[in-house]
Amino acid sequence: MIDFKNVKKHYSNGTIALDGVDLHIDDGEFVFIVGHSGAGKTTMMKLLLREEAATSGTITVGDYELTGIKNNQIPYYRRNLGVVFQDFRLFPNKTVYENVAFAMQVVGTPRAMIKRRVPAILTTVNLADKLQCFPRELSGGEQQRVALARALANNPKMIIADEPTGNIDPKMSIEIMNLLMKINKLGKTVIVVTHEKNLVDYYKQRVVVLNDGKIVEDRIGGMFQ
Amino acid sequence: MKRRYSIRFFLEQAFKGLTRNSVMSVASIAVLMSCLIVLGSFSLLIMNINVNLDKIAELNEIMVYCEYDLTEEQIVEVENNIKGLDNVGTVTRITKDESLQTMKEESGEYADLYSDITAENNPLCDSFEIVYKDLDETAVFNLEAELRNITGVRKINSVYKVAKTIDSLKSGIMLVFIWFLVILFVVSIFVIINTIKLAVYSRKNEITVMRYVGATNGFITYPFIFEGVIIGGAASALAFAIQSYIYVYIEKMAATDMQMITVLTYKEIWPLLVAGFLIIGILTGVIGSVASLRKYLKS
Repeated sequence: MIDFKNVKKHYSNGTIALDGVDLHIDDGEFVFIVGHSGAGKTTMMKLLLREEAATSGTITVGDYELTGIKNNQIPYYRRNLGVVFQDFRLFPNKTVYENVAFAMQVVGTPRAMIKRRVPAILTTVNLADKLQCFPRELSGGEQQRVALARALANNPKMIIADEPTGNIDPKMSIEIMNLLMKINKLGKTVIVVTHEKNLVDYYKQRVVVLNDGKIVEDRIGGMFQ
Repeated sequence: MKRRYSIRFFLEQAFKGLTRNSVMSVASIAVLMSCLIVLGSFSLLIMNINVNLDKIAELNEIMVYCEYDLTEEQIVEVENNIKGLDNVGTVTRITKDESLQTMKEESGEYADLYSDITAENNPLCDSFEIVYKDLDETAVFNLEAELRNITGVRKINSVYKVAKTIDSLKSGIMLVFIWFLVILFVVSIFVIINTIKLAVYSRKNEITVMRYVGATNGFITYPFIFEGVIIGGAASALAFAIQSYIYVYIEKMAATDMQMITVLTYKEIWPLLVAGFLIIGILTGVIGSVASLRKYLKS
């Protein structure tokens, strides 16, 4: 469960990135967050990842209240999230296997379990034959699938994807979106930040539209206006 | 889930980090090693200058040269007269044959030039090496005057004034050198830490991703600390090997070609070199890594 209550985010240069946002997302929902550049999508992501703190209001994610969370608790909060970025953000010097395994090592998963689980996750994203490849040896779509596998590694309750199809071709975009839909069907909350109208319109999920830091539309089965 | 991680895990991560970022790792080791060699060389230079200044300042010797045509009895009389003086500690007679022999030995490959000189036509004279007891200026000047007045003494050589001057300048000279060393040290630390910062900067995306997947600051930092230790250790070992080779070479050269200079033996300096290099190398490696990481770890 994600709950934004009257969340404002003002930057020191005077920019108002979010201006009184109220948003409730239930467990297991699939939500597109859309909007033009500067609408506040990235800020919303940063607040959800607790990369930044809200200026006012409260953000609750599961058992964590992000406004008052202590710095040393942030890593433990992040372990409940799986994050996918537009630019993949894989470890360039680690193999595909190591990239996925690293997320599990961070949370202290035993080595034997990592050895069993990583190939299984990579099979889910159709990369079982790329275990020992380095990211530079993969296509954009494959790299994004590795990022998705890493996001799933610790079996998080929620996946946050920031423009997951922004750097890949349309065919791969469909594949990634299908994977995200599949993950959602397994009961995980999926939040996709995007500006790709076609994808949003095609999948007909809940769409939250941001404009100038405010939610201007929130509709289930909505379209990108 | 909180969990204690093994040192082995962090060591593995550190080695992987170093080998997979080999260019920056090698650059860090090379810069650290170069700085250590410069620091080590300058420190050794200061230590050796100090020893030589000490040696000169403590020279309480006067050489007394006899007339050329003295008989053995007359030379013994000169020796007895010297021994009878107040401020005289020890008196060592150097016969003209011994002087000739020493001269030949010191000439090394040119000793043949003196092959025509024998005991019969030796042009040198007998001399005495006197070590005096009281270093007070008046006492030394009195002794010098008394030695000159002894019948059969042709000339005396005293380095008292030179020794005194060097002694008075020694602290100033050493202060200047130590300031140079301090400046060199600060500059070296600056260079080393900035090189390591560059190495860490090249991996800032990696650190950011670590944070997003829920890595604690400790989990991110420990491999970098181990990397710092490995970089520092490797640079120290290489610097020690190179410095030792250079020092032993200079020591050998000084023993043959610059006998007037006292050079600390390698046995005396190597423990200092090892300790100094390891401490500076590892500390700067670790401090550089941790300091560079700090700004990427802020939540």
